[in-house]
Amino acid sequence: MIRFEDVSVTYDGATEPTVQGIDFEVPEGELVLLVGPSGTGKSTILNSVSGLVPHFTGGTLRGRVTVAGRDTRTHKPRELADVVGTVGQDPLSHFVTDTVEDELAYGMESLGLPPHVMRRRVEETLDLLGLTDLRARPISTLSGGQQQRVAIGSVLTPHPRALILDEPTSALDPAAAEEVLAVLQRLVHDLGTTILMAEHRLERVIQYADQIALLPGPGEPLSLGTPAEIMAVSPVYPPVVDLGRVAGWSPLPLTVRDARRRASDLRQRLAQAAGSRAAGAARVGAGGTPQARASETPPTATPTRRTWFRSRITPSPLPSPHAAEVQALSIHRTPTRALTDVTLTLTPGETVALMGRNGAGKSTLLNTLVGLIPPTSGTVLTGGTIPHRTPPHDLIRRVGLVPQEPRDLLYADTIAAECEAADADASAAPGTCRTLVTDLLPGMTGVPDDTHPRDLSEGQRLALALAVVLTARPPLLLLDEPTRGLDYAAKARLAAVLKTLAAEGHAIVLATHDVELAAEIADRVVLLADGEIIADGPAADVVVASPSFAPQVSKILAPQKWLTVAQVKAALGAPGPRS
Amino acid sequence: MNVIHLGPRSIAALTLTSAVGVAALGWPFLAPPRSQLTAHATDAPWLFAGLLILLVVVVAATISESGLGPKAVAMLGVLAATGAALRPLGAGTAGIEPMFFLMVLSGRVLGPGFGFTLGGVSMFASALLTGGVGPWMPFQMLAMGWFAMGAGLLPGARRLRGRTELVLLAVYGFLAAFAYGTITNLAGWPFLSGTASNIAFQPDGSVPGNLARFFLYCVATSLGWDLGRALCTVVLTFTLGPAVLRALRRATRRAAFESAVTFEPR
Amino acid sequence: MHSGSRPQQQARASETPPPAPPRHRTHPTPLHPAAWWLWSLSLGIAATRTTNPLLLTLLIATSAYVVAARRPHTPWARSYSAFVKLALAVLLIRLAFAVTLGSPLPGTHVIVTLPEVPLPDWAQGIRLGGKVTAETLTFAFYDGLKLATLLICVGAANALASPTRLLKSLPGALYEMGVAVVVALTFAPNLIADIQRLRAARRLRGRPDSGLRGLLQVGLPVLEGALERSVALAAAMDARGYGRTADVPPRVRRTTNTLTLGGLLGVCAGTYGLLTAEGGTYGIPVLLAGVTAALAGLRLGGRRTPRTRYRPDPWGARAWLVTASGAAVAAALAWASVHDPAALHPGVIPLTTPTLPLYPAAAILLGLLPAFVTTPPEEPS
Repeated sequence: MIRFEDVSVTYDGATEPTVQGIDFEVPEGELVLLVGPSGTGKSTILNSVSGLVPHFTGGTLRGRVTVAGRDTRTHKPRELADVVGTVGQDPLSHFVTDTVEDELAYGMESLGLPPHVMRRRVEETLDLLGLTDLRARPISTLSGGQQQRVAIGSVLTPHPRALILDEPTSALDPAAAEEVLAVLQRLVHDLGTTILMAEHRLERVIQYADQIALLPGPGEPLSLGTPAEIMAVSPVYPPVVDLGRVAGWSPLPLTVRDARRRASDLRQRLAQAAGSRAAGAARVGAGGTPQARASETPPTATPTRRTWFRSRITPSPLPSPHAAEVQALSIHRTPTRALTDVTLTLTPGETVALMGRNGAGKSTLLNTLVGLIPPTSGTVLTGGTIPHRTPPHDLIRRVGLVPQEPRDLLYADTIAAECEAADADASAAPGTCRTLVTDLLPGMTGVPDDTHPRDLSEGQRLALALAVVLTARPPLLLLDEPTRGLDYAAKARLAAVLKTLAAEGHAIVLATHDVELAAEIADRVVLLADGEIIADGPAADVVVASPSFAPQVSKILAPQKWLTVAQVKAALGAPGPRS
Repeated sequence: MNVIHLGPRSIAALTLTSAVGVAALGWPFLAPPRSQLTAHATDAPWLFAGLLILLVVVVAATISESGLGPKAVAMLGVLAATGAALRPLGAGTAGIEPMFFLMVLSGRVLGPGFGFTLGGVSMFASALLTGGVGPWMPFQMLAMGWFAMGAGLLPGARRLRGRTELVLLAVYGFLAAFAYGTITNLAGWPFLSGTASNIAFQPDGSVPGNLARFFLYCVATSLGWDLGRALCTVVLTFTLGPAVLRALRRATRRAAFESAVTFEPR
Repeated sequence: MHSGSRPQQQARASETPPPAPPRHRTHPTPLHPAAWWLWSLSLGIAATRTTNPLLLTLLIATSAYVVAARRPHTPWARSYSAFVKLALAVLLIRLAFAVTLGSPLPGTHVIVTLPEVPLPDWAQGIRLGGKVTAETLTFAFYDGLKLATLLICVGAANALASPTRLLKSLPGALYEMGVAVVVALTFAPNLIADIQRLRAARRLRGRPDSGLRGLLQVGLPVLEGALERSVALAAAMDARGYGRTADVPPRVRRTTNTLTLGGLLGVCAGTYGLLTAEGGTYGIPVLLAGVTAALAGLRLGGRRTPRTRYRPDPWGARAWLVTASGAAVAAALAWASVHDPAALHPGVIPLTTPTLPLYPAAAILLGLLPAFVTTPPEEPS
């Protein structure tokens, strides 16, 4: 269906090809997952299927790409629109019209299908994707999962034979991701659609893949194989595969179900290992004190942890024992109440993961803590002051928030200017922010100072925004959905940074859908539903009890309370006397 | 950079439409008292409003035909939305209309063809957004189109940068913002019936007399407004100009409007 | 489709016209937006035929009644009150001009005499201040009311016709421009939300989140974000088939060009004819010929896009009725203005009390028809 014949792509102005020697075929009716670290050219490969590379982007394509027998050299993207549907990373920049129904019809209008066919296909697609109740709604009022389904629906209506998806679930909460993936599976099974999809969150998608195409590194050749084959050699892998490697299982398990079947042996070993250790360390991570956790879980991807910070970023001293206190907080926003009777205390050195569905009130709570939203009733104190009454230049010394879109914090047009501005805003010594950037992301030294912040990769931009916020040394650090669009390596780096910050006494709150990240770094998990706190306790207790927020490791090893592969590794690495 | 290339047909259509536009605006001074227009002075502005709608549509169709690629259309839509969103910002306060500044800079960076189209589309979109479609709309579309196109026709589009360019744009912005005000006044003036006021157009009056009346009409209705708008454009050009120019140039580079597409065999 | 081997493929090939379109409409069919515009403009044209304040008030009342009964619950529907305010402002400005600047009208009923400021010679006898007569004021009021009525009628169209549906009815030759406008309409609300979000985010950098300065500093990142999104949107549009062109035979293309450019030339020549004293005879016919040719060119030009429309607004019996009711009002007043000018243009010199002419007034009431033949708007959900 989709054929790459020895393809290389070189963009204008680039000396090296972005991808080279790509040679593979996606058979009809299969779902093929394209995996690899960031910056290896996954998007280039995806976009050359629809012909956007090179017709839209410019550049040179060597070799040949064909879809359903059509050669992209002779067919422009618009002439492939009836055989390939492409959905990019950000559904919002995909939409041309403003209502669901019009959006579903837009592609067919461009192709010139007769009105009665359009009408029927719109109805079919609304049913297929479960969008019937939303047909007349403005797209901007939909949730992320609904928007993603509309984006998929809008390319399905012309009945393409192949679908190209670039990270369709990375911005979604687990439930919404399930919705989208269920739709994709239905397309493959019922309609025989061919799907080529790139996704960082392998733990969500790997069980749906028929084959995996792996791009191990920039410029390296692509290899195609069954998920088990590829996972054995891949540099990126989900926790279940990691656990399988640690436990030495072969073939590697790909789903929680596979792994559970084999895990009885591992559970036993772990129980023995745990039993042989002191009682305090037995329930690793289960409510352990922050200090204990910070010392016991070595980050997987960062052996050089102690060199993270050349200068310790000690938070400025606090006038109150709590980093923040929230008492009986309610926020009303027409037509719904966003938060109801929320009470929460944050202590220095503690890492709290705020979890819950999209729209549960996570962002609202974070925004209240920095004074972006005044409370309707109840009190909020951050660092001893009322945030929405504190002047901004004073507030940033008490609390810092990295918003969902780190770009919102960046105004200047070079990294250097951004850092100077941050120093000035925080009245910090010149150079503070720049040093922080390099500390947070040693790779950033290679990036010229006059780079535009918008030209950075997601991980680099997050590091820059984090550095800007940390320049004022706030004792309370808030992060909204920090792992959006990050690959495993960038996520591991972020986790390591946050652990160090917590060890230095920062209180950290992250609102996240990423259960694996929460499991790795959170001491405490607060679950929000419909604006109310429904669970608040040690990470292990809260997430293990929740089917949708449990990390893969805890699902596999339940009822034992293990959260991350690192913990398991550490426990096995200190074997008891009998093993 | 010339994002929308105007072919000979588009240029011909644009010239003819502009000629009719000039007549539609300037007829009170151009038409002798014995002409048909002057004889039906109360109906003439309506005739021209209707005629201009048609002409603007025809020009738009001609420009569309000579090739509006997806990149140009998306950028047109986004910039027009920005312009339309900026327009109500200054509606209450005398003449603070940042839209003019954006039009000058976009016309400069993206070329005269794009400028003309952007000016027209922006006025149309903002009229639709605010529910402000009226007999003034075709005149505004044409005037704004000329305004942004003029910025694209300024000399040194490829070489001139830095301070000199800013001064050039500011001077143009000042004059053109004023001219825009005068043009819209000219469009609205004949609606004022001749016998109703001393500053209204008098079909049987002499040209100097009508000029004097028009001048007083401008002073009485919109001088403060026009001056505010012109000054606002100048101030914005000097303060935000460099950054916005950089942003626009960067965006056109990223959009790869002119980059070559090549294929090589294996 | 290149191959038709798969069952799904064959299913597609058999997509012949269905016996009846599926009835999925959850809401009543709205009236074609062009019908509302034609109705409103007809009332506006009727307003230009008279200066009788009673008839004009009746026209305003007619349009206001229909708007009140049929205005949808949408943001643009609020523009009616904006237009009413604008009309009022126009009326007041007219009166202010008449008071301060006087009018060439000779009047005998002096109400008040303002101190007169002499203007220099070039001002050609225009004076500031001086006598204010009842005749001047009455005439200015009649004239202002005429324009105000017209504005209110245009406001009715703005309130009743959905701009997005109107865009759907654009001719095919304007397809690309139409998409640009649709993108602009979709994008503008997002942009305003972006501005608000970024303005709030300034607080996170320790900068004040209010004031003009903040707005200016936020402007640039918003613009950059918007431009970036435009590139992504362009890619999505390209991949979704935007810009496909149909094969147009060269003959048709040549005809289109000839018609368009010839039409424009005709319009130009016709306008020139109207502008000159000698051209009075040929002006209008040449202009009309030019307009016809240009319209034909426009229609033919639509052939180059293969694009079709999803759920176009049907132009049905109700649309005809609404348009006809407006046209009837315009025709009746145009006829009356020729046959009974005295009633439609009440005298100012000497001042007379305007009376309500029976037949024109009855004709205006025909304009109420849309309030009875169209469906009421949906309740807001």
